[in-house]
Amino acid sequence: MKKHILFYSFLIIGLIVYGQTTKDHDSTAIFILDKMADNIGNLEAVTFDLTNSSDEFDDNDNVVTQFSKSTITFSGPSNLLVRKNGTKGKVGYWYDGNYITYYNFDENNYVTLEAPETTLEMIDTMHENYDFVFPAADFFYPSFTDDMIEQFDSISYLGKKIIQGEECYHIMAQSKDLSVQIWISNQTFLLPKHFVLINKAKSNMQYESTFSNWSLNPSVPESAFSFMPPPTARMISILKK
Amino acid sequence: MSIYNLNIKHILGIVLVFFALILPSEISAQRMRHNASRGGGRTMSRPTSRPSNNRATMNRSSNRNRATTRPTTTNRAPNRSINGGHNKSTNRSYSKNKMPNRSTNRATNNKSTRDRSATGDRSSRDKSAPKLDTRNRKTSNVKDRSGNRGNGNRGNNVNSGNRRNINIDNSRTVNVNRRNTYVRPSPRRYSRPPYAYGGYRYYCHRPYFYHPFVPFYWGPYYHPWGYFVTSLATTAIIVSIVNDNADDDDEEYHYENGNYYLKTEDGFVAVQAPVGAEVPDIPDEAEKVEVNNTTNYYYGGAFYEQNKDGYIVVPATAGTIVPGLPEGGEEVKIGEVTYVQFGETYYQPIQVDGKNMYEIVEVKKE
Repeated sequence: MKKHILFYSFLIIGLIVYGQTTKDHDSTAIFILDKMADNIGNLEAVTFDLTNSSDEFDDNDNVVTQFSKSTITFSGPSNLLVRKNGTKGKVGYWYDGNYITYYNFDENNYVTLEAPETTLEMIDTMHENYDFVFPAADFFYPSFTDDMIEQFDSISYLGKKIIQGEECYHIMAQSKDLSVQIWISNQTFLLPKHFVLINKAKSNMQYESTFSNWSLNPSVPESAFSFMPPPTARMISILKK
Repeated sequence: MSIYNLNIKHILGIVLVFFALILPSEISAQRMRHNASRGGGRTMSRPTSRPSNNRATMNRSSNRNRATTRPTTTNRAPNRSINGGHNKSTNRSYSKNKMPNRSTNRATNNKSTRDRSATGDRSSRDKSAPKLDTRNRKTSNVKDRSGNRGNGNRGNNVNSGNRRNINIDNSRTVNVNRRNTYVRPSPRRYSRPPYAYGGYRYYCHRPYFYHPFVPFYWGPYYHPWGYFVTSLATTAIIVSIVNDNADDDDEEYHYENGNYYLKTEDGFVAVQAPVGAEVPDIPDEAEKVEVNNTTNYYYGGAFYEQNKDGYIVVPATAGTIVPGLPEGGEEVKIGEVTYVQFGETYYQPIQVDGKNMYEIVEVKKE
């Protein structure tokens, strides 16, 4: 009898191990990511600052780093305001559920387009059609954890770390082409503090962001999300991808 | 008896192995097949007591078509969540099993929920919202390379002013466009890498330097495209077009002082210079521009080459630098840069010795 139990146990263990060799997802890491996504999903409005550095190729195919600082406000399912100021200039996005406006402060011109009726649909559509980049939008997808699970072969929890004086959970995710590290703050709420994305397939180019000044459920007037063009600003056309 | 017991053990064992085989693959299949696990297949793994709790179907990676149904749900108040609430699959497998009992989490985690039909109806939302009037806002023209370039481009160019009413027959649009805005490739090699956007590469010799597009004024005789006159001076001539296509022979261009006109029912309307038009002289305001180591003359957005009989309109050459652009162009945001577009020709704003100028962009498909 013992022999049989042992035999079948090994068989089952073997099968389980075989079934999971492809993906290696740590339950603690998933739990923390889930909790963070729960908290974000329960927000009705949020404002935060984002400091960002991102690598890109210059004219001579050398890697140069661009920096920017953004202030981002989500309010309800269909309002978004982004102001981004950095080495590549100052731009803003206004989205009020009907229209999205991209305004370039340096060139003093803007593009206004009809937009889908939720913020995330709008982000997707605008990125797909016009290459609009909304910083750190990944964290605001409702299926954030599942997307991570699907996209990365391994997700692991690396312990607690101190980032800028805040205790954070350090999570790492790896796939063939991407390496992501996320630090999720343990200060009061589980919200992202810092993340680093390394594009292994593309010269190990790095994308790094730090979140700060989280303001949860602030009351933001709806009119703040409607763009009013400055008197001299010019509306221009846009080329779809 | 012992043989019978052994058989039972074997059968039990095989059944156990069968379940062990089935279970992980089932989980894995749900995880991999994103669509199924988050869409209709959800009820399979859920208690029947919550049949109406269909979660939000926002699924970034695969389910891009969001126009799909999002059924009304739950007995909670309308959700104002910034993303419709966290949306996670029910079955997950882990490398370690340290998880707390997820079923308790699930019970309280009763999300999702915005009633799409309520927020989806824009008119009803507008009625109840005493906010700034953002309806019917003027939106930007959207250019689409894959679309019918004749219709789209021509329409946009023509509609930029009230008095302009060229109304060129659409059947001839493509010819007109090509005739006026065809770009010859640059003979010089590009040392700068191109700017890539939407499957096309945009080559320029000089770096992008934005300055707002202000139509250039070529003097008192210059008439912008679309300018309407009831009659032409007697000095106007009918131009001959070299290498003209047979199907264009119904167009008769009238030329006077650097302006080209097409006859309409009521009079004449100024248009772009047709490539191949030969004229005896051009206005004094024409500027010399260096193209391909030869001197061309630039006036009113057209390039001229001098020959023994006079001047002939030639297509633009990529890489040519021009000091000003006529009316009729429009600024187009292409990814991170803003070009000025005439038909299918793009001009990149540049700066030469502190002066604002434009370089003709060479566009190549990737």
